Amino acid sequence: MKNIKLETDKQFIKELDEKVNREETFSSWDLFSMAYQTELTNISPNFGELHALNYLSHIDFLPHQVETAKQAIQDMNGRAILADEVGLGKTIEAGLILKEYLLRGLVKKILILVPASLVNQWARELNEKFFIPAVPYRKNYQWSQHDILISSIDTAKRSPHREEILDIDYDLILIDEAHKLKNHQTQNYKLVRALKKKYCLLLTATPIQNHLIEIFNLVSILKPGHLGSYDSFIKEYGNDRNKIKQNAMLRKLIQKVMVRNTRKNTSLNQTSRKIETVRVDFSKIENDFYQQLSTSIQPLSTFAKITLLREICSSREACYLSLQKMSKEQETKELIDPLLKEIEGLPHHSKAKKVIELIEHHKDEKVIIFTEYRATQLYLQWYLQQHNITSVPFRGGFKGGKKDWMKQLFKNHAQVLIATEAGGEGINLQFCNIMINYDLPWNPMRLEQRIGRIHRYGQEKDVYIYNFAIKGTVEDHIMSLLYEKINLFQQVIGQLDDILAELDINNLESELYSIYTSSSSHGEAKIKLDNLASIIQNKNNELHNEEQSYGYN
Amino acid sequence: MAITNLNQFLSDFFIAHKCRLISNQNGVLTIQLTEEMDRALMNRPFYWHYIKKMGQVGEPQTLTLITDQGTSGKQGELIHFGSPRLQQIMEHLKINERFTKAYQNLADVTTNTALHPWLLLNIKVTYVGKLQKDEVFSLGLNLINGMMKSQMMEYLYKINLQNTIPDFCYTISPLIKLKSGYKRIESVIKNYIENQEHKWADESIAKLEEDIELLKLFYINPSEEEEKQMKKEIHEIKTRYEPQINISIINGGIFYLHHL
Repeated sequence: MKNIKLETDKQFIKELDEKVNREETFSSWDLFSMAYQTELTNISPNFGELHALNYLSHIDFLPHQVETAKQAIQDMNGRAILADEVGLGKTIEAGLILKEYLLRGLVKKILILVPASLVNQWARELNEKFFIPAVPYRKNYQWSQHDILISSIDTAKRSPHREEILDIDYDLILIDEAHKLKNHQTQNYKLVRALKKKYCLLLTATPIQNHLIEIFNLVSILKPGHLGSYDSFIKEYGNDRNKIKQNAMLRKLIQKVMVRNTRKNTSLNQTSRKIETVRVDFSKIENDFYQQLSTSIQPLSTFAKITLLREICSSREACYLSLQKMSKEQETKELIDPLLKEIEGLPHHSKAKKVIELIEHHKDEKVIIFTEYRATQLYLQWYLQQHNITSVPFRGGFKGGKKDWMKQLFKNHAQVLIATEAGGEGINLQFCNIMINYDLPWNPMRLEQRIGRIHRYGQEKDVYIYNFAIKGTVEDHIMSLLYEKINLFQQVIGQLDDILAELDINNLESELYSIYTSSSSHGEAKIKLDNLASIIQNKNNELHNEEQSYGYN
Repeated sequence: MAITNLNQFLSDFFIAHKCRLISNQNGVLTIQLTEEMDRALMNRPFYWHYIKKMGQVGEPQTLTLITDQGTSGKQGELIHFGSPRLQQIMEHLKINERFTKAYQNLADVTTNTALHPWLLLNIKVTYVGKLQKDEVFSLGLNLINGMMKSQMMEYLYKINLQNTIPDFCYTISPLIKLKSGYKRIESVIKNYIENQEHKWADESIAKLEEDIELLKLFYINPSEEEEKQMKKEIHEIKTRYEPQINISIINGGIFYLHHL
């Protein structure tokens, strides 16, 4: 008892006494007893339970989300890394934790640092789902005047914000996409270390991207010393990220500050991905053009060649724009001009026709189409309109407000959303479960981001993914020799990312280009692709076996 | 005694504030607000400011609250535990209903009857450390003879109370002053707290010390700047774990009661 600070209420009886002496009016018995009832309703009668669940009955939490929130509060005492895989609801877990602390009166002043493109989405989720009055930071706001502010870290670290923020005693700091803090020498990192904070939540799907030291740096924000000092850590564990799999002690230590749920160990697996490759035949005239194109551009660089071939597999328009650019240059003009003429004569793209067919098959359902090219996007929008199919465009470059607006339009008024860039992070479309990959990115992370837009927490139906490829083209090679062979679409690409890192392949896209550059014939390229696929597959099996003992949850 | 029937709670609240219930069925409650309630709940200060400036009588709004989640297609606000509207109403109660004075209403009294003054305190004790919990006590103290009673609210719910002195009744002036009455109740609570084991506090302190020990591992020969950072971090660990107990009064008041 001697160690416990005791605070008593000195104000109440003074006020009651004054009220009696001045013969002021009192509350009626009815209202008085209702105030008492209110308090009984709001108290947290025990240390253990999550009180917030009673207040959020409108949200269907998944078991792993509740469990994670409990762990973060009870076992980790409010300083935790939430490291679920993409799409398992880290935001939901964080919201639940925030709500619990707010209800218990343990936090008041909160700072939420997220990528600029996510500020509004965070504000909306917290307000609408959790009734947490969080506001996005706006120019001329006083940092000290708002209790719950959301801002980008870039804003926060600039003067004079930095100084103001460092002056405030925060009860809770939340940082989304926390892997951006992996380097302890950056300004971002130093800012977060310097912040005065009681509780701290770091959200990331990839706590270790390349080097083991990254996890040391993240943990040292929450609990400096938990993994020893920088030097002792390097000395003991080195910098190989595989250590976490091999070293049980290290894994155990990390488990004390980090929760990681994977699709495999959660119930989210229940909605599955139904993948279908749709192989489309070029019409004769299209095919002739493709052959003509691929022979006549032989003198060009590999990069230009592949780009043009990929483009013609997407739309005449995409290819036309590139050709047009090239025809302005003296040395290629002669080569290109006949092609330009030729391309103008092409009919509607075979893939576009297939899209119409497919959408008509899914008559009353929402469909997302992803394409790599702006020109294709415009063309498709026009072409769908010709067939009385309503669609809205979506681009990564849209400002936050416009993104929201397009999403609303799609949700309420249009059948199809045609997107160029996944908009990467930032737009959640669980209400839609059909996706057409009109053309494929050569970077599998982008593909996972695309799929992650609809196959994520909140999706109630099975997800259908149609991958388009034109038979006998470069597109077909990548699809059948690589993507299909390594089961790219079935497994979560987070795993592929691990595999590629193991193989020291930083960028699959440039790897593919280099295969084509260094191959003198189609046959050779095919063999090389095939080899690549086999290596990835082997590594995958290897990792899969390790995973059993890894799973740091 | 926590709220179980939200619809009942809400209609009681609005009736107590002299609002008219336009309708209340199937979990859909429609209320004609009074000016006071409109100002308190509807968040339109400019309207009221403007109306008063113009010397007009304002028109309070009606409010429809839906407590039955299954009801669909009805116009109105869904209200449930956690919803902003209920938070607002609860906050209003918390701020405004802290003090009361009430008299026991005895049925069929015909002769002069004395009512004894009681001090009632509804007390919340909050334990904060590694984790947090609350306890609520309702204690009454007879201001004549010093008798104390626990679960006072439960008793009060069972009898009839009113805000004015009933016919044929008179009140006895307190012998114990309010402030010393308060002290007596407070010391009972403090006693109760001191006689507990407080394992939670021991655990919190153990955790606090453990974390500070760990922290020292992070800094080997700290520079001056690191020294400062370390101090900050030690302070953070303390704010997180240092055990603390808060005694706060939810609400309370004077009750004039016939013998208990």
